[in-house]
Amino acid sequence: MNPTKISACNVNVFYGASQAIKDVSLELADKSVTAFIGPSGCGKSTFLRCLNRMNDTIDICRVTGDIRLDGQDINAASVDPVQLRAQVGMVFQKPNPFPKSIYDNVAYGPRIHGLTQNRTELDEIVESSLRAAALWDEVKDRLRQPGTGLSGGQQQRLCIARAIATRPEVILMDEPCSALDPIATAQIDDLIHQMAQDFCVIIVTHSMSQARRVSDRTAYFHMGNMVEYGETEQIFINPREKLTETYVSGRIG
Amino acid sequence: MTALAFGILLLATIVAYALNRHAASRLRARGQPLHSLVGHHAGFAALLVLVPVLVLILLWLGLQGPVISRLLMGGLPQGVLDGLDTGAVQLIEAEITSIAGGRIFGTPEDWKLAAAARLVDLRLMSGQMLLLAVSLLALALIALARHKVAPEFRARQSFESIVTGLMVFASIVAVFTTVGIVASLVFEAGRFFAIVPIHEFLFGLNWEPQIPIRADQIAAEGAFGWVPVLVGTLVITVVALVVSVPIGLMSAIYLNEFAAPRARAIIKPVLEILAGVPTVVYGFFAVLTVAPALRSAGAALGMDVSPNTALAAGGVMAIMLIPFISSFADDALSAVPRALRDGALALGATRAETMLNVLFPAALPGIVGGVLLAVSRAIGETMIVVMAAGLMAKLTLNPLDSVTTVTVQIVTLLIGDTSFDNPKTLAAFALGLMLFLVTLVINVFALRIVRKYREAYD
Repeated sequence: MNPTKISACNVNVFYGASQAIKDVSLELADKSVTAFIGPSGCGKSTFLRCLNRMNDTIDICRVTGDIRLDGQDINAASVDPVQLRAQVGMVFQKPNPFPKSIYDNVAYGPRIHGLTQNRTELDEIVESSLRAAALWDEVKDRLRQPGTGLSGGQQQRLCIARAIATRPEVILMDEPCSALDPIATAQIDDLIHQMAQDFCVIIVTHSMSQARRVSDRTAYFHMGNMVEYGETEQIFINPREKLTETYVSGRIG
Repeated sequence: MTALAFGILLLATIVAYALNRHAASRLRARGQPLHSLVGHHAGFAALLVLVPVLVLILLWLGLQGPVISRLLMGGLPQGVLDGLDTGAVQLIEAEITSIAGGRIFGTPEDWKLAAAARLVDLRLMSGQMLLLAVSLLALALIALARHKVAPEFRARQSFESIVTGLMVFASIVAVFTTVGIVASLVFEAGRFFAIVPIHEFLFGLNWEPQIPIRADQIAAEGAFGWVPVLVGTLVITVVALVVSVPIGLMSAIYLNEFAAPRARAIIKPVLEILAGVPTVVYGFFAVLTVAPALRSAGAALGMDVSPNTALAAGGVMAIMLIPFISSFADDALSAVPRALRDGALALGATRAETMLNVLFPAALPGIVGGVLLAVSRAIGETMIVVMAAGLMAKLTLNPLDSVTTVTVQIVTLLIGDTSFDNPKTLAAFALGLMLFLVTLVINVFALRIVRKYREAYD
């Protein structure tokens, strides 16, 4: 296993009075892909959103426990969530390009974080991000057209390019292929493999085949508990827990 | 009689509904598969009775007056109406009507008393015939509806086509009312332009409509150039928008993105109270509070401020428009999908950046639409400017000066002694037509802007 990028210890999440995550502890390795699987409502997305403090935007949500990125407590008072989210990018379930041009979508992050000195540098970031998201060849002639005019799969790759463009260290993906067809899904799978060379990628997915294809390690969540966490091959072929076995064999969920 | 006719209508509708409901339920209870639901059979019967009978009653009520009057006047003794003009004939008819109503003045001729008695008879007969016709038609329709109940009868389709017809009728009524209003405006304005040349009205720089009504009155010669009135309207509108658009938008942004739930729960209703204040109250506020305050502030600075400034009227109008703009913008911002907000926040955008770069542009069509609707309201607003703006049409762009507006001039032209063949009165219709055209153009413009941005963003 690569060195640990994120370590979570005794994390609990509450929505008002109900508890969505119960005492979850795990370590996420750098430059690899970790998949979170589990039935709907098991808390995997909620846990993912703890890692870039997106749960802060929900008024009734409360997070306890210790989450460290490179040893730094991300919930510490000294940490600005805005800075944290620049380090920890996120791709959502439904493609959500801004109502702007393709270029401006990708350039948005570098612009607000002042990553570039001039136009040429910005152009370079946009191009390299779009190339990394395997979208460059399809859109290079229409960078000024609205990002919302692309197909669903292209929009999702645009969102990935947008996330990459801020030069994050971690990329969180919340069911990135649930709205896409198998061909677009296969493209994204390839992308995830590519991204694992540079980033710590964490993906929530409902598709067990996708988890098996793309991830190095897998965590199985059930009813707010993390039931099992280990090498993907081991989780799918030789699970230690009964609950994991029933889920990955397709008997529930 | 009329009330009784409506009573019969109601009763017949209920009976038809109940009968068909019962009949359809019985069919179903016997195990026959019905094409339509029981409720559709019943609703069909109710509408089949309600609509024609209602039309009959309304037509009867509309036509019985003229028909009775024809019969009455035709039955008068030979020769009594010879040589009388329309006005005198109408006078005689009115006298007969009031005698029939029991109000007798002086000693009317015998033939008038006889005619009054005949009028009472005619009215009674009409009422009875109405009841008879309504009852017969209702019975026939109930029977027809009941006869239609059968397993294969497509009651749902029939019911829906009647309802569709009613909806088409309702929208036609709305359209024709608008057409009628425009036609009357155009007609009266046409009479005005026959007296005052249209280029004089459109390009004239003087507005002095106080011309004599009678030949012996002493008054000005009269000038009907609407430019100063239009400019006055625009000055007040611009003042109102300059104040209300920034305040409205910023309060919407604050309420939507930054306010704590508790603050929002207090501020939003307070803003909405502003929208509920009657404009006449805003008028008081402008005349009694804002205008004197402006005047004394101006005096303190050594400026001569007129007692009814465009600034006071426009500023108070702005207060009226704030909740309008704010609630439109708030709705537009709330309608932006949460996914967009999350997307921006997840990139490390601050709330301010998210609002300015993502939410605001996405909500822009709705916001622009709201602002342009506010413009239409400002231009058409009457009560505040009647109370707070001036009466004299002065061609000036200075908001500290006294200006008048199109609506104020329409009001002043139409109150008091008026005769409807005089250019002074007809000018009001010309102004009304222009006001209508200006607002129409702005509304069309607003719709186009909204559509353009929508195409770019979806």
